[in-house]
Amino acid sequence: MFALPEKESRAPSTCPGPASTQDLDSNCGDGLERECSRKPDQKLPELYGVGDPTAGFSSNSSHLSSRGGIIKWFWDSAEAGYRTYHMDEYDEDKNPSGIINLGTSENKLCFDLLSKRLSQSDMLRVEPALLQYPDWRGHLFLREEVARFLSFYCKSPAPLQAENVVVLNGCASVFSALATVLCEVGEAFLIPAPYYGAITQHVCLYGNVRLVSVYLDSEVTGPDTRPFQLTVEKLEMALQGANSQGIKVKGLILINPQNPLGDIYSPAELQNFLEFAKRHELHVMVDEVYMLSVFEESVGYRSVLSLERLPDPQRTHVMWATSKDFGMSGLRFGTLYTENRDVATAVASLCRYHGLSGLVQHQMAQLLRDRDWINQVYLPENHARLKAAHTYVAGELRALGIPFLSRGAGFFIWADLRKYLPEGSFEEERRLWRRFLDHKVLVSFGKAFECKEPGWFRLVFSDKAHRLCLGMQRVRQVLEGKSQVAEDPPACQTQEPRDRHRHAPLSAHPGECGTRNPGSTHLSTLPSLVCWLFPFKLISSWSQYGY
Amino acid sequence: MDETRDGEGSSQPVEAKTKAQGMSHQSDVLPCDQLRDQVIGNQSSHTQLMETLLHLRQTVDDCITQLTTRPPQLDLPLEEQRHNQATGEQEAFLRRVVNLLQSGAMWGLGLQAPRPTLGPRDDAGGGQQAQLSRQLDQLVHQLSHLEVAFVSHDLSNRGIDISAFERSKFQDFKTYQGDKYHEDKNTMGFINLGVSENKLCTDLMTERLSRSDMNHLEDALLQYSDQRGQPFLREEVARFLTYYCKSPARLDPENVVVLSGCCSVFSALATVLCDPGEALLTPTPFFGGLVMGSYLYSKVELMPVHLDSEITDGSARPFQLTVDKLEQALLEATLKGKKVRGLLLINPQNPLGDVYSRDSLEEYLEFAKRYNLHVIIDELYMLSVFDDSVTFRSVLSMESLPDPNRTHMIWGTSKDFGISGFRFGALYTHNKEVASAVSSFGFLNGISGITQYKLCRLLQDREWIDKVYLPTNHSRLKAAHRYITNKLKALKIPFLNRGSGLYVWMNLKEYLQPCTFEEELLLHHRFLGNKLILSPGKTYMCKEPGWFRLIFSDKPLPLKLAMHRFYEVLAEQKRDLRVKQLEDPQKE
Repeated sequence: MFALPEKESRAPSTCPGPASTQDLDSNCGDGLERECSRKPDQKLPELYGVGDPTAGFSSNSSHLSSRGGIIKWFWDSAEAGYRTYHMDEYDEDKNPSGIINLGTSENKLCFDLLSKRLSQSDMLRVEPALLQYPDWRGHLFLREEVARFLSFYCKSPAPLQAENVVVLNGCASVFSALATVLCEVGEAFLIPAPYYGAITQHVCLYGNVRLVSVYLDSEVTGPDTRPFQLTVEKLEMALQGANSQGIKVKGLILINPQNPLGDIYSPAELQNFLEFAKRHELHVMVDEVYMLSVFEESVGYRSVLSLERLPDPQRTHVMWATSKDFGMSGLRFGTLYTENRDVATAVASLCRYHGLSGLVQHQMAQLLRDRDWINQVYLPENHARLKAAHTYVAGELRALGIPFLSRGAGFFIWADLRKYLPEGSFEEERRLWRRFLDHKVLVSFGKAFECKEPGWFRLVFSDKAHRLCLGMQRVRQVLEGKSQVAEDPPACQTQEPRDRHRHAPLSAHPGECGTRNPGSTHLSTLPSLVCWLFPFKLISSWSQYGY
Repeated sequence: MDETRDGEGSSQPVEAKTKAQGMSHQSDVLPCDQLRDQVIGNQSSHTQLMETLLHLRQTVDDCITQLTTRPPQLDLPLEEQRHNQATGEQEAFLRRVVNLLQSGAMWGLGLQAPRPTLGPRDDAGGGQQAQLSRQLDQLVHQLSHLEVAFVSHDLSNRGIDISAFERSKFQDFKTYQGDKYHEDKNTMGFINLGVSENKLCTDLMTERLSRSDMNHLEDALLQYSDQRGQPFLREEVARFLTYYCKSPARLDPENVVVLSGCCSVFSALATVLCDPGEALLTPTPFFGGLVMGSYLYSKVELMPVHLDSEITDGSARPFQLTVDKLEQALLEATLKGKKVRGLLLINPQNPLGDVYSRDSLEEYLEFAKRYNLHVIIDELYMLSVFDDSVTFRSVLSMESLPDPNRTHMIWGTSKDFGISGFRFGALYTHNKEVASAVSSFGFLNGISGITQYKLCRLLQDREWIDKVYLPTNHSRLKAAHRYITNKLKALKIPFLNRGSGLYVWMNLKEYLQPCTFEEELLLHHRFLGNKLILSPGKTYMCKEPGWFRLIFSDKPLPLKLAMHRFYEVLAEQKRDLRVKQLEDPQKE
């Protein structure tokens, strides 16, 4: 453990944000990495944060290069949460007292359907061409199928082109490749936080690109607003802030439906964000990996590809994968759609590292082609099962009086456990997470999503009933026990879930922040070594990792 | 014609890059740096080419203007273009010019892994519209590169490099793609003896992969797995390597990391072992695809250790690697201020087909140990040793490694099982730190669970491998090799007669007059003109002009036809040389 260095210890007391808190186990389910750092004397400290994934890195190795050391550290920290889980995975028969995983965002509800479909004879074709070097962009038959598929399910006004499709082994690779071909080392993307934290690692490992968080908060400020709402003003502020620090921002990442919020951007919002990006000549990467996991009809999801006119089509890049919507994260199939041929070509050049077996490409093409099965069997059943699981977990949370956010999309519920944190610190958040893990249930804490308010947790509900019930039972046990302890400091029990309705669940007390002691961010911290990966020496950024 | 527009709109300052380029040239680093500047960097030896290029440029500019004012033409598929009598001749000329310029630039870059990395098969029909227009686009790119002028406002500088690299390389391949040889459908198409793929056993492989045990599905295969690879596959790889590498002790699955192809393994390894700009020593000629592997993402440079075809003191055979040469290359690199982090060995060697003896291997490893260098050893062809008299010794078979923590072995199924489309590569290293660091790339370079399962079944089936696959594969390789080498002997073409790999390294310098890389390239294009793809030695960083690699692991029919075309080209070349010889004295 390292002491907080002198010049950093004057971190503003108005900033109880992630910069001054500890993130001990940097993985809690998704292989997530987080980063966080803040310039101490910036003007608007809570509006954005410049990510520095390597800030906590400290070890040195005689065998690895400098960056190799950092990359290894990524691995070590990513392992932490998982390691515990993998050593003691729940199994109905063999290990009933093992850990239930409500942390990894995977859909485990439809394996029966998928297994049946993937075992049909059309899937099993083997031919020489599939065994030899492919077109690096992906076999043409697959790219054509992807274009047709996206045209249909994204409701594209005009047919999408196979030429604009690049196939890679998962969306992680798409992020990695895009970061590399769009940014120089050390440049950045804007991303509204909380966000799926693994992206930090995806853009950093090869690309050495970092993320500037656009912090959203749970507070609802007006009648037409919602918790964690992204606005153009917030984007503008974050961009300005980053620029003022000399950070070159090259793009904006939007996840829609959002992970972990389950939020969906309306077409008007989307248009505004795209216009913002155009004004500043930013690329927009829209991650729509949950687009078919909108299980609530009323939500009215719209893909960016459905817009009549993209403000800046040459700078709009859409990614999709089968990982979530078809519950096949292990299949490693992801795709980029971009009208920009330069970008497509450059990404394709990197596909030699991100290739997908020809046999799997064949299977994917067969799967995406089978509109009957998708529309009549898979999607209705998948949505019904997601809805049922969601209803169950939502009910459990209501019974516990826990406010949460969930809008009928994705596999997760974003739960507000702030009332269980007497001091409202990230250290407590982590301790609560650890308590869950000790009680054999793995969830994800908000810090992993770069959420700036301590106390938020993501619970994944897309699991089989028996596991889900057991998982929720364990969650309940922890919270009921914890809740009593937490009542001791009265200041923290100010918030009762005043609204149990799912769509407007939150209301942060304005005064509550004051009760949180910024001094609780006293945690031991690791000084940032000069960032090896980044040329910007002017930013002293600090963050805390370790165990 | 987007690219055309981009090519013209450049105004970005380039001095810095040019400077950097100058440096890397100076230090004789493999010129994977900054493609667009490279041609300029290599002035000394390439003046002649530059002149040719500049001269041709004017002509081409005129033609471009002409052609671009006829947009409908450009949208025609290549086939139609070709059959278009009215414009055929002019365009044919242009295509040649484009080819020449492109490969000229390529050649100047000196690092092309020519076709090996290009790959598509059945996509042939797809991307071929507006071939010519694309070629023109590419040409404009190339020219822009020559002028250090190409800037895309959407890509980062490294993005531009990456994409330029692909474009320059794709040129010939796209042509090939649109006009591939097919036994029945297109006997006049290109025969590709440039890409190192084993097509001799697709029947066996297809049959094996079609068996029902391959099609097992379980939920774990569709879910996130251990980033290092599924435990069952890593265990199988460890068992497999223990057996086939004749490891004295059982290999540990914990030391195995599997990623999507050896290219990924190498890239990840280079990234975690070297910082940007650092270098690996690389005996040349060597498989150029690794340059990309090391460069596109990791920006690690390869420092050539040039080997000679001549047998000199201390060496017993052509292109022999000696510790003296390694010492010398290391010294030179150090004097130039290059930080060398490791040594890259390919065994069996590609393109030489050489196999390192146990003693040599040990010497190289000892050398590396003396200087604290990592050794990355690529044994991708270890089961493609088809001559029984050749004894291949895997690095994993050694009783004790001089420096186990700095010895990293790479293997994959692409070559030995002829399934490059599977995208599977494995790393074996005793160094836990390195294994962990490489594992971080498991997300970005991961393999589908379904594929991992099939691979596991395949590697597990020792019975089939030992009794069916390997014997058949070796005897077919042997037959194909014999066929090709007999042809070469009849033509009195010197070649390295080795019993491993999928290729023959042959010397065609008799056909070059003068013996320069320019002539080598022209000959290469002559082959292309006769629908035959071979790989010129320049793309392997060979320092002597005139060497070519020929892949013989193709079916008898295309192989026979290929050799016929080969013969035709050489005969034509010889006629031309005679005429040239006749003319030369007359000039004087």
